[in-house]
Amino acid sequence: MSDIKFCKRCLYSSAHPLGLTLDEEGICSGCRIHEEKDTLDWDERWSMLDALVKPYRNPDGKNYDCIVPVTGAQDSYYIVHLVKERLGMNPLLVTYNKYFNTPLGIRNLANLRIRFNCDILYQNINPISVKKITRSTLHRFGSIYWPILAGQTVFPVQTAVRHKIPLIVWGAHQGLEQVGMFSHEHEIEMTRRYRKDHDLMGHEADDLLSIFDTLKEEDVWQYRYPDDRDLNAVGVRGIYLGNYVRWDPKAQHEQMMREYDYKTSAFNRTFDCYDHVDCFNYMDLHDQIKLYKHGYSKVTDHASREIRFGRLTREEGLALVRKHEQAPLKYLDQFCEWLGVNRRSMQFLMDHHRNPSFWTKTAPGNWDFNGWSAQHSKNASVDPMRTDLPDIFEANDYLEYNHDSKYITIGKGWP
Amino acid sequence: MAHSLRDIGFRVRVSADMEVLNEVDILLLPGVGAYPSAMRALHERGLVHYLQDQAREQRPIIGICLGMQLLASASHELHYTVGLDLIPGEVVPLTEPKWHIGWNTIECVQDDPLFGPSDGQAFYFNHSFMYQGPAEYQVCVSRHPTPIPSVIRRGNIIGLQFHPEKSQAAGKALLKNIISRLAHA
Amino acid sequence: MLKKRLVGVVTVKDGWAVQSFGYKRYLPLGKPECLVENLDRWGADEILVQVIDRSVNGSNPDFELLERLGRLGLETPLIYGGGIRSVDDGVRAIQSGADRLVVDSLLHDDLAAVRGLSERLGAQAIIAALPLSWNGEHVEWLDYRHGSSSSISVEVLSLAETGIVSEILVIDWMHEGHQDGFEQNLIRNFPLSGVPLIAFGGISNSNQMAELLQMPNISAIAAGNFLSYREHAVQKYKEALSGMPLRLSAYESKYPTLTHV
Repeated sequence: MSDIKFCKRCLYSSAHPLGLTLDEEGICSGCRIHEEKDTLDWDERWSMLDALVKPYRNPDGKNYDCIVPVTGAQDSYYIVHLVKERLGMNPLLVTYNKYFNTPLGIRNLANLRIRFNCDILYQNINPISVKKITRSTLHRFGSIYWPILAGQTVFPVQTAVRHKIPLIVWGAHQGLEQVGMFSHEHEIEMTRRYRKDHDLMGHEADDLLSIFDTLKEEDVWQYRYPDDRDLNAVGVRGIYLGNYVRWDPKAQHEQMMREYDYKTSAFNRTFDCYDHVDCFNYMDLHDQIKLYKHGYSKVTDHASREIRFGRLTREEGLALVRKHEQAPLKYLDQFCEWLGVNRRSMQFLMDHHRNPSFWTKTAPGNWDFNGWSAQHSKNASVDPMRTDLPDIFEANDYLEYNHDSKYITIGKGWP
Repeated sequence: MAHSLRDIGFRVRVSADMEVLNEVDILLLPGVGAYPSAMRALHERGLVHYLQDQAREQRPIIGICLGMQLLASASHELHYTVGLDLIPGEVVPLTEPKWHIGWNTIECVQDDPLFGPSDGQAFYFNHSFMYQGPAEYQVCVSRHPTPIPSVIRRGNIIGLQFHPEKSQAAGKALLKNIISRLAHA
Repeated sequence: MLKKRLVGVVTVKDGWAVQSFGYKRYLPLGKPECLVENLDRWGADEILVQVIDRSVNGSNPDFELLERLGRLGLETPLIYGGGIRSVDDGVRAIQSGADRLVVDSLLHDDLAAVRGLSERLGAQAIIAALPLSWNGEHVEWLDYRHGSSSSISVEVLSLAETGIVSEILVIDWMHEGHQDGFEQNLIRNFPLSGVPLIAFGGISNSNQMAELLQMPNISAIAAGNFLSYREHAVQKYKEALSGMPLRLSAYESKYPTLTHV
């Protein structure tokens, strides 16, 4: 077990799965790139964006100007607002449908397409294939999310090729925002390399076929990236608004709550109420597996982000992390029922993926945690039981909305 | 090399064992490094006589890069070393420039269905010695800028001076063509 | 006709592929295998993997990385640099899957080993990397482990002149990662003529590339960071350089969607 090093400013460490570099002052690449948010001329960058999208507008209105991938959460409202209302473009929304939808997510997505008056395409992959893939990837890689990540990142690209709409507009680039993989000035665009390396943990659809005997081509071909020749023939290009707009998810979501009735919910495992409200598992089971595998979980991402924006101090961030990251699961039964495994087998599978750098088994069912939040310089002044922690996120609804805590595959959503 | 071949649908075995070599349809002789140590290695494994016998029986043999040069009578690399003598000719140093490194096109100077489809395609070269021998054995040349043999052939013995396994799509297409045709001959 | 080459560079530090700026600032990119495989699919003319923290740490070459790259089944020539300290290191790197080698520290430490590598593997397999800067009057050579610059030694120049190494990788280390940064004086005023040079460091746009490709002693141009910002970067640069002596761009097609375009 090699020593991991921590950024002096945010809560990230050199063990970050996307990669992280630290400079001579002990500040991480993510924090350094974040500094650009306060030094770049965003008016100028907006003009650059305007010029960039100009050739893609269809003056005769006979085809969509661009594709915008959306969900019932994750900055989708803000992205559509920028594309439709500020850039004046005519987007085709596309969404990869997952099986873990919350009623609130269904409602938010319906509200999105209606309030912004947009056309939308859904992709639904058959449940048997999805469950087969999920069983295999959970067993081997400790992931329940491969089909969703694969689908969300490829359906827009396939649609671009099939419908000959070359421009795809994404929001923020996760590598840039979290670990400073690129400067805003590099104007990073969508690449197949990033998807395979970071979204799909190094395994594309055809790699799964060679790894798992249980999977057949008919289970995975839908997740295949379009050929280079097809991409080039259509001129497919994916751009990130975060390179041209000062990206601030908290402020953006709050604007969308006020102006477009975006609804939010509290979570046990984090203090952010705005993101991931469309999924029963992302901030629940999936998040706990992240803690097992990587020694940290989403609340650390949220805290580091808010520290960088100056809305939390590092101590407050660490206290919030310690408060939330060991919270128990709420929706494990729903997942077990969906996949067809019992709780004991599920726990056994998950324990198999605990990273020994961060977890030590002391007795059956008992594990000692030595993850990132435990390893931070022993800061005696951080008391996880603090009750004066800032409460800066507002939940105005519940994941269950006006239904039960049951997965919805296709829902009416309105009203 | 093995990966490229498997990718285009052929079964591959890597061996210096005559019993294994006897079972396959085509023998492929790759080569990296210098001529004298490569020939010494072949002698040590008893493969020199083996390959000469196989050639007499019209067994297809493909030599790649140094492997092509080993098919010749002798080489002047480092010190004079006798080769397999399956395609008569000598291996001599390139003249200015002293190396041939990079992607270069091949030109067919004889009609040969094995190589015709690849006429004008670029392949990756990385060598400093060249084959010099009778024109009848030279199927393709490349310009260095003066023409040097890039493909040589005598019967079912073939030599490729470039690396088809490092030549992306063009290399795969060529290998597929050669091997399919040789295996059905 | 022999073409000049566009080489894709993957820089590795602490086991991660990184962007490198001026030899002092690094941003994470991902797994080296993913970047290398991507360059292979795009059709780079050669791929250069440079592991920059081996010699500094007194380590030998990263053979495990080479073996992992070997399992990818690459169809593009692979050049490896980083931690080659002896003839045995070089031979093992070739056996592990590299086609050619780059040596840097060895040029300071052990020229006899460089000659030995050339004898064993052939000069066409050996490239001398020289991180250089222009001081207004002449070219200076960086010893990156000690951070000091001086003239290129007579012995190193002689290695190139006598054909012990086949090419020299001229690294404009100061302008690494900087748009349009490459200092052309490093090529124009290189102390030797007639030795093939590969230009690297701050080469980001096709005008620069065209100017360099037209210089007679340039055999190849290399880019690292700038190939990571958009899809099909290699192909797009080649298309902007039509008319230059480069191999044409190509787009892979394994599972076509469009039946006609």
